[in-house]
Amino acid sequence: MVNRRKLSGMMVTTIGLVITLGIAFIIAIILIFILSKEPGKTIYYFFAGPFTNRYYFGNMLNSAIPLVFTGLGISIAFKSSLFNLGGEGQVYAGALVTTFICLALPNFNGFLGGFMALTAGVATGAVLAGLSGFFKMKWGTDLLISSFLISGAVVLIVNYFITGPMDDPNSSLLTTPGIALQYRLPQILKPSKLDISILLSVAAAVLIFFFMYYTHRGYEMRMCGLNREFARYGGVNVSTYLILPMILSGALHGLGGGLAVMGTHHMALKEFTFGMGWNGIAVALIARNHPLGVLPAALFFAYLGAGAKAAMLHSDVTFEIATIIQSIIFYLITAQSIYRFIRYRKRVHK
Amino acid sequence: MKTSVPAYLSMRGITKFYQLSNVLANDRINFELAKNEINAIVGENGAGKTTLMKILYGLERSDEGQIFLNEQEVTIHSPLDANRLGIGMVHQHFRLIPEFTIAENVTLGIEPVKHGVFFNHGEAVQRVQKVMDEFGFDLDPKQKIARLTVGQKQQVEIIKILYRKADLLILDEPTSALTEQQIQKLFDTLRNLCQSGRTIIIITHKLGEVKALSHRVTVMRKGRIVAVRDTADVDEKELSRLMVGKSISFKFARQIMPPGKIVLELQNILVKEKGRDRPLLDRVSLMVHEGEILAMAGVGGNGLGELEEVVSGLRTVSDGTMLHKGEEITNLSAFVLRERGLAYVPADRLYRGSCLESSVLENMIISNHHSFLKGGVINQNGIQDFGRGLKGHFSIDGELEVPIGTLSGGNIQKVILARELSSRSDFIIFSEPTWGLDVVSSEFVYEKILECRSQGAAILLISSNLDEVLSLADTLIVMYRGRIVAKFHDCQELSKELIGEYMLGIRDDFKEGS
Repeated sequence: MVNRRKLSGMMVTTIGLVITLGIAFIIAIILIFILSKEPGKTIYYFFAGPFTNRYYFGNMLNSAIPLVFTGLGISIAFKSSLFNLGGEGQVYAGALVTTFICLALPNFNGFLGGFMALTAGVATGAVLAGLSGFFKMKWGTDLLISSFLISGAVVLIVNYFITGPMDDPNSSLLTTPGIALQYRLPQILKPSKLDISILLSVAAAVLIFFFMYYTHRGYEMRMCGLNREFARYGGVNVSTYLILPMILSGALHGLGGGLAVMGTHHMALKEFTFGMGWNGIAVALIARNHPLGVLPAALFFAYLGAGAKAAMLHSDVTFEIATIIQSIIFYLITAQSIYRFIRYRKRVHK
Repeated sequence: MKTSVPAYLSMRGITKFYQLSNVLANDRINFELAKNEINAIVGENGAGKTTLMKILYGLERSDEGQIFLNEQEVTIHSPLDANRLGIGMVHQHFRLIPEFTIAENVTLGIEPVKHGVFFNHGEAVQRVQKVMDEFGFDLDPKQKIARLTVGQKQQVEIIKILYRKADLLILDEPTSALTEQQIQKLFDTLRNLCQSGRTIIIITHKLGEVKALSHRVTVMRKGRIVAVRDTADVDEKELSRLMVGKSISFKFARQIMPPGKIVLELQNILVKEKGRDRPLLDRVSLMVHEGEILAMAGVGGNGLGELEEVVSGLRTVSDGTMLHKGEEITNLSAFVLRERGLAYVPADRLYRGSCLESSVLENMIISNHHSFLKGGVINQNGIQDFGRGLKGHFSIDGELEVPIGTLSGGNIQKVILARELSSRSDFIIFSEPTWGLDVVSSEFVYEKILECRSQGAAILLISSNLDEVLSLADTLIVMYRGRIVAKFHDCQELSKELIGEYMLGIRDDFKEGS
């Protein structure tokens, strides 16, 4: 369904994004000149650091993986005009349940057991988000509030399990024991932490894209998102699309959490998924809720993080300064995206 | 140009091209307006009337051209610019906030304040009252918009621009939702405003109104002005010839249909709403037969909208029974009703009938995308062929991939008709099917309705256009306050005045069979 006009529209969007990026980078460079005693070095590591060796590069790609899943999850919700602010809890709980299954089956077949563990993580996320959708359908509860509050409680419950019943007494960290070796996903690009789940994240983006634009459920979902009354008029069961997108959104969050355990951390540490949920919202905004746009958006986000880390290690910038610079770049980009998103919603719901 | 008086307003060489829909809406237009006249702009749908006025009001920017007011060149880039120059516009669709009072709506944006921050409602009421007294409007400024009739809302829109001290008033299709009496009232108001020194531009499709109201008439066709005449010198026939390039006759041949079986039956339908004493539909019973057009007439707010929703499965009833071919279908979903053969052309074609952000093609398949499924996936070639077929068959002017919101009103309606009539339905609701459409598009719609009738469909026609109702209906029902107040079978003999009296509740003496 792509044609020339759509492409030229995308061109305009891309150019706008590039200009904003340019401005953001210029501001960041000015800040580095003010805050760093060795600005040349800092700038080099901030912007080129992630590409200087395999280790940094692989880790950057690795940190993009969970963001792809959470970004996709948020995109699905936003595309349906629904809100999922519970990403944090869904990722975290998904990670815990995946860990739990792995730990409960220490001597099981790696493929089968891993599949079961991930499925359980996915289901956990799906239930948590689906619950908010169900409340919305049943009583008209505000999704913004219910998803946020449920997540807030879930984070504390998961914390309890990690530091309580599932805590590893032999570790000095607040963590569960490590999962059995057969459940750990194969690494690629050693010595970095990058593992094969990056292929899964690309596949997920393509799959969600296909779902949204080529299947009838995806079509009905987008129509409900754009104009619920029109969908209802056309015979679409609109209450389905208060729940289904939330379930999918939660499932993707759960999957992101589960893969973070099996691919990277190999255990559930206290609050180790912190930020993945919120950053997913930012990724979705930058991607304009387009599933394929989520891939570069997540990568960009990971790049900023990796650059900040490299600059901290190799020059005189502290964690705070690195974070400030990262935030400013990010702030400008999201401001542009949010503005567009709000304008778009205004047009739809005028 | 006939007038020799120096122009009050002059738009020169105005050109506007819409890239997305590939339409040259205004093609080097020169438009002049004399001080203190009422100028009617007529033209088919998509002739460029609304675009020209939007440019004048700052809602659109022209690609080329200049605007002179009192022989001074002006730039108008926003409605604020227009307001400052004394130009005000009343839109086809009202832009009022239903929960606010008249005074709040009128003063919105330039509210009187007290202590620097708080909205001064008392002061607003007083000021609005003053404007209303000056121009002879009889409304209560403290009344909420939601409680007003369509005619009264229109008055509020006019008060709104008068409050902003407009000298030039633009009205886009102001009478489309009004009753005969409300139209007369509006025209009196406009004549008064003209006498008190205002200049008025009115966009309209109704040639009778042009004759009744305007001093001059400007005819547009395909983005150009094709004629400017003194209204006294032209008759309606010539105007319609100028508009469409050929004469239109309003008569159409209708087959005589033998009475068919009952397709849809409503028995004592009751619709109540929380917090309202009077039911929205008060024990309504009716029957529609095969090959019958049952027309429903009524003023807005008297139950027609609710009836439309009940019959199309979008609103549940509190009591009563609905039958389709003898089987009960009360409170079934729109999906089930559509499966059973319902097609529905809604009155609210912009927000219910279409999804403006989506492509024309995506709009065409909302009710039948199930038939293009191959294992849960929509067959792209299938829908493309389907879309191209509908586009050709209904001569839709617009590409399948562009958002439907970029099409003209007439073409949007064609897409809706094409979609709804694409599968053979045995029961079809047409609600305000020609609202805002030009003569040619309306004729097209009438042809389609009669075609459905001769194919044996049962048709429910809900319309505020009495000419349309009288010439199409086999049976006519008039509703007032949620109740059926009159029912006629020989519609050709009826007078509009009589129906109007029932619609407005002036008469309540109807007996079945009279």
